[in-house]
Amino acid sequence: MKSKIWTWLIVLVVLAALMWVASALTGPEGTKLQGLTWLLWVVIAGVVIYILYFATSQSEAWAVGTRQVVYMAIGAALYGIFSWLFNGTVFVVPSVSLVSIRPAIALPIFFGYAFGPVVGFFTGAVGNILGDFITGWGVYPVWDIGNGLIGLVAGLVMLFPDRRKSLSTLTWLVGVLVLAAIGIIVLGPVVMHPWTGEEIPRMPWVWVVVIGGVLALAARFLMKPLGEDTAAINLWGALGIIIGIGFAAFADIWVNGYTFFVAMVGEFIPAAGPNIINAAILAPILLAAYKAVQARTGR
Amino acid sequence: MLVSWKYRPRNTLIQRLDPRARLIFMLAALVSLLFFWDLRYELFFFVLALGQYTLARLSFRDTRRAWLLMGPLIVILTILTFLTGRFHEGVYTEEHVLGQLVLFSRLTIVFSAEKIAFAIAQLLRVTSITLLAVVIPYTIDPSLYGVTFRGLGLPDKFAYAMDLAFRLVPTLGRDFSITYDAQRARGYELEKLKGGIVAQIRRVAPLLVPVVIQAIVGGEEVIDSMDLRAFGVGPRTWLPQLKYSRADRLLLAFSVLLVTGGTALMVMGYGGFWVPEFLLRMAQP
Repeated sequence: MKSKIWTWLIVLVVLAALMWVASALTGPEGTKLQGLTWLLWVVIAGVVIYILYFATSQSEAWAVGTRQVVYMAIGAALYGIFSWLFNGTVFVVPSVSLVSIRPAIALPIFFGYAFGPVVGFFTGAVGNILGDFITGWGVYPVWDIGNGLIGLVAGLVMLFPDRRKSLSTLTWLVGVLVLAAIGIIVLGPVVMHPWTGEEIPRMPWVWVVVIGGVLALAARFLMKPLGEDTAAINLWGALGIIIGIGFAAFADIWVNGYTFFVAMVGEFIPAAGPNIINAAILAPILLAAYKAVQARTGR
Repeated sequence: MLVSWKYRPRNTLIQRLDPRARLIFMLAALVSLLFFWDLRYELFFFVLALGQYTLARLSFRDTRRAWLLMGPLIVILTILTFLTGRFHEGVYTEEHVLGQLVLFSRLTIVFSAEKIAFAIAQLLRVTSITLLAVVIPYTIDPSLYGVTFRGLGLPDKFAYAMDLAFRLVPTLGRDFSITYDAQRARGYELEKLKGGIVAQIRRVAPLLVPVVIQAIVGGEEVIDSMDLRAFGVGPRTWLPQLKYSRADRLLLAFSVLLVTGGTALMVMGYGGFWVPEFLLRMAQP
């Protein structure tokens, strides 16, 4: 009990220190330290994940035994292979309205949902490294972590005793995130249009967030007839993609010097949009096939 | 189709270095590079990355695919940033205008000395990152990744999972080939998907699902084998042994110098955004 209290104290001190550094970066002296911002972003993500783990460490979702080790390896290898196959090196598949087919994204979501957040994170992160290696593109740590987060978030469903409770929590989370986003837009600094120089109106963006939130909440109830598993894997998968791709695209603002506009339009939307569609179709199919095998083998 | 690693043994200085030292150097160079926006500092890192690439003796034919993808991407995103203006508040507060372009009587694109300098800095930065990253898969033996990450402090289970993942890639790639050929024999053609986007994605399922489920079912046997051999009960020993040589220690020392030196320069205010004097002189009065 004592060690847990000490650990919480240390974690809170570290978080406070990170917040102080973040505020220093936004202060008048902050321009000198801009080079640290992306690293800070990665460290904050790490601390948040650690807090999440520490708060729920009693859960079996975080257990790493032989089974999890093997599924980590299988998931990562499969994600690497399918990423290589469908990135245009082997198959050039027809695309519709600029949407490309990237079925591999269903794998970290499926492995995270079925085997836990640790397996999901490993599948996404190491699988992305493997896919880039096989293709010969190199190592891009920020995108590896982003892909890992997709699988980790999808695996958080295992922290809940049942799927219905996880969906209810997700509903509340979406509601809170929508309100927070509206608050940030309304109270945040003025953003000038890069070409016209005029102030970008805020209300349309408020409506975009409200509509997005309503659609997400509607999806939760509309998918109920398809089964709680289908609804859960789709919603947790979509949340994972938004957080994972959002993390990587946002970090690229400091890594590559992109504007927020370029990061969102050039990276986040083209990646997250098609990925959500791919995952929504293929992840439930994979899950159904896995459950059929489980019922047959009893394992 | 065969899934094969890009790695080939080459008798080069780069490949003789310990993979742990090389990964630490890559991360140190990456972190330090991102501290600066000054063209001159970016040029130093570009030369460093190019030097590593040259010493690795990789030909353009070897890395052609990487450059064919990354090259246009780097150029397009740099142009996009150049046209959309400032990367964020505080990088530069005034612009020395070189010219303007008005489109459709409403959109005004301003060409300034600052935008040109920033675009060049960004181009150097992103190209340096690519050069640092692309060397790794071609010059580190895939069978050493597990022991490398264990040597870097990753726990046994995760390091072994990484090792197993690398080893499973050719096996699962072969399984994919067999499944694809079997489906093709039944009239399945991936290159000729018809229908809307949803139908096309669903048509990938006959390829994806059997391979994944087969891998999971086969994984059960691997789990049983590992449990029977008491996997995870005690600390694991590794067959390949990595030892630092003098060259590796020098590389590690240089990596530490890069990060500490870069941090010190950044904190002292060096390496911030810089515009060459000749560009400023060209600005309109």
